[in-house]
Amino acid sequence: MKFVPERLEVAAGDRITWVNRDFVPHSVTAKDHGIESGDLAEGKKFTYLARQRGEIAYICRLHPVMRGVVVVK
Amino acid sequence: MNVKYMLPIALFVPALALAQGKPSDPQIAHIVVTANQIDIDAGKLAKSHSKNKEVQAFAQQMITDHSAVNKQAGALAKKLGVKPEDNDTSKALKKGANDNVANLKKLKGAPFDEAYVEHEVVYHQQVLDAIDKVLIPSAQNQELKELIVKVRPAIATHLEHAKHLQAGLGKK
Repeated sequence: MKFVPERLEVAAGDRITWVNRDFVPHSVTAKDHGIESGDLAEGKKFTYLARQRGEIAYICRLHPVMRGVVVVK
Repeated sequence: MNVKYMLPIALFVPALALAQGKPSDPQIAHIVVTANQIDIDAGKLAKSHSKNKEVQAFAQQMITDHSAVNKQAGALAKKLGVKPEDNDTSKALKKGANDNVANLKKLKGAPFDEAYVEHEVVYHQQVLDAIDKVLIPSAQNQELKELIVKVRPAIATHLEHAKHLQAGLGKK
């Protein structure tokens, strides 16, 4: 189980959409940035608007060993 | 690490590896369902017995994820008309699970958490080994093989999660 890609570079103002392609629920969670997708079942999507430049490290709250980072340039 | 808890696990690991050479597809289906159900049951026990929030969250995740796998396995077996067939590996798994539950029920608090998580580490490693060495190479039906391949990353993530949890418990 992992976020693909684990590191994503975007420009400020971009919208990022995560899609759960796994058969178990996952989340996109970054408490420091107030990001919480809730539990996403298979096929469900979560979109986030990256406004501020910087790094957003996030995890799957349900599987905390799953980690990803969005770099907003 | 307490040697008392390790013994049944250590005895159990070779049982799965040696129980049979090459299981048939109906036997593989039974092994998959049994292996998942065992971890669901252990998760339910841990969820009700543990007072540790991280252990409870992990236990809930085992219940959720392994239930999802069994839902898929059940649907595939139905679609393929495969009737899961009991076998020595499933029996060895159940025996190991019963021993684990009996051991856990004697424990409370931190020793319970440590024993549960330690068993989860060993169990998921054992299941990963069985997937790689027995289940994937033996599965004849392509869809059954694909299901097992699809499930493998979840087991690997659970193993990593359990190891992470174990390291945290050791520090407390």
